[in-house]
Amino acid sequence: MKAMSVAPRRWLRNGVRSASLHAAWHYLPIAIVLLVWQLVVEFDVVNRAFLPSFGETLRALWEMTRNGEIGSNLLVSVYRAFSGLAVGSIIGVAIGLAMATSRRADEFFGPLVATTYSLPKSSLVPLFILWFGIGDVTSIVSVLLACLLPVIVSTYHGVQSVPAVIVWSARAMGTPHHLILWRILLPSSLLSIFTGVRIALGFCFVLTISVEMIAAKTGIGKLIFLYGESGAYAYMFGGLLAIVVVAYAADRTLLAAMNYFLRWDDSIHAAHVGG
Amino acid sequence: MISICVKHLNKRYRARDGDVVALANVDIDVAEGEFVTIVGPSGCGKSTLLYILGGFIGADGGIIEIDGKAVTGPGIDRGVVFQEYALFPWLTVAQNIRYGLEVSGASRQRCEETVERLVRMIGLQGFEHRFPRELSGGMKQRVAIARTLAYDPKILLLDEPFGALDAQTREVMQDELLRLWQATRKTVMMVTHDVNEAVYLSERVLVMSQRPGRIVQEFAVTIDRTCEREITVLNDDFNRLRNEVWLSVRRQAGARGV
Repeated sequence: MKAMSVAPRRWLRNGVRSASLHAAWHYLPIAIVLLVWQLVVEFDVVNRAFLPSFGETLRALWEMTRNGEIGSNLLVSVYRAFSGLAVGSIIGVAIGLAMATSRRADEFFGPLVATTYSLPKSSLVPLFILWFGIGDVTSIVSVLLACLLPVIVSTYHGVQSVPAVIVWSARAMGTPHHLILWRILLPSSLLSIFTGVRIALGFCFVLTISVEMIAAKTGIGKLIFLYGESGAYAYMFGGLLAIVVVAYAADRTLLAAMNYFLRWDDSIHAAHVGG
Repeated sequence: MISICVKHLNKRYRARDGDVVALANVDIDVAEGEFVTIVGPSGCGKSTLLYILGGFIGADGGIIEIDGKAVTGPGIDRGVVFQEYALFPWLTVAQNIRYGLEVSGASRQRCEETVERLVRMIGLQGFEHRFPRELSGGMKQRVAIARTLAYDPKILLLDEPFGALDAQTREVMQDELLRLWQATRKTVMMVTHDVNEAVYLSERVLVMSQRPGRIVQEFAVTIDRTCEREITVLNDDFNRLRNEVWLSVRRQAGARGV
């Protein structure tokens, strides 16, 4: 561990050339995975019919992108994932804040959160299909539920760990009770809230794809499922690759937003988040 | 005129193995414009006393009055400076200083004028848009004092305000506080474990006992505060008094063998 973290930093001291070395170091694991993938196929470790090479996958992805198959389905999936994430995060922050600031809300939501925390939300999908049918609503509701809990829990802990003197000094300076939440507790717990949303961001793609596989007519999940069924594995992997790229880009964007909005925070700079 | 009045103040903390008495029958009167310091061994309940005066925690009996009115909660008639500064890390220096005025609904112009005046006073020109994490300990404490002065409270409650600073910075800050108090004549109640600081700054030093905290001894400090620090500190009267206070605190600390 130590050697891994020290090496790139030493390169970094020597300017621009080392910066690119640092980037190379960063992406090395991905390159290794791709290389192993290619080698496994080249040397027939796995039957070629069941595992397409990386090159074939890229070609399939390119073809599906050109004929619009990826674009239209990706749009649908991203819409479902982000609507669920957005609504789930807003409700999650609201419930988390309420629980942390009101004993009554804590007593009401507490047991609910504790009992549903470890419940796999996808197990409810068959029920949602009955209620909401096949399509957007079922996907969005499942995503929403999955995003809710990490956001509730991290918001709750964020508010709980706001130092008492911060709230006291706000009160001493005349902050009325109803503004404490907005002006003090919310900014104080921003790092925790962001962390919760970041976990939820991962869940939102997992849920979207898996729900689409069983309860949708469109979306990348459905695409993956159909190509998998028909044995067109290069296309199946192509769809997968598309969602991986989108999820990665979304995570990087969130991280950039986090770094910007938390530029005042000590811990985020100390921890080199996303460095 | 009495500014702070504390009578028969008691405070207990609930603990697993029964109540802990933090303060027992504390009586303190502070006159308007007076600088009073409480010194005592750590854990004697002196910060608790300050938090009760700040209105952050309640007492278990006794009278606590500010300007003749009972304390029921925090108020902007009392400015509090905490040991850990308690600056809002998400706000810049200027935003921290103007916070109190802003929530009280002061005009934009007044906020800006006040910030400008106070930033100049604490010598942080050019740092207005820095976040607290970009400041040194001494700078943070200057901002903490400035943001308290911004809304002009009549009383300053200081909880070991210089405890986290290095010795040199602490002396500079003490002199700044002294100058500030002489210029504004606010009522100041400070809590510290630094005997030197207590005698150097205040007009009256109260020594508190080990828990349960009581005021056990009182010292009036009559030294000429118009002198330079070196002259004051090397003065025989100052040193005699400082040694007396030190012995008194030491007796309290020693009572438990600490």
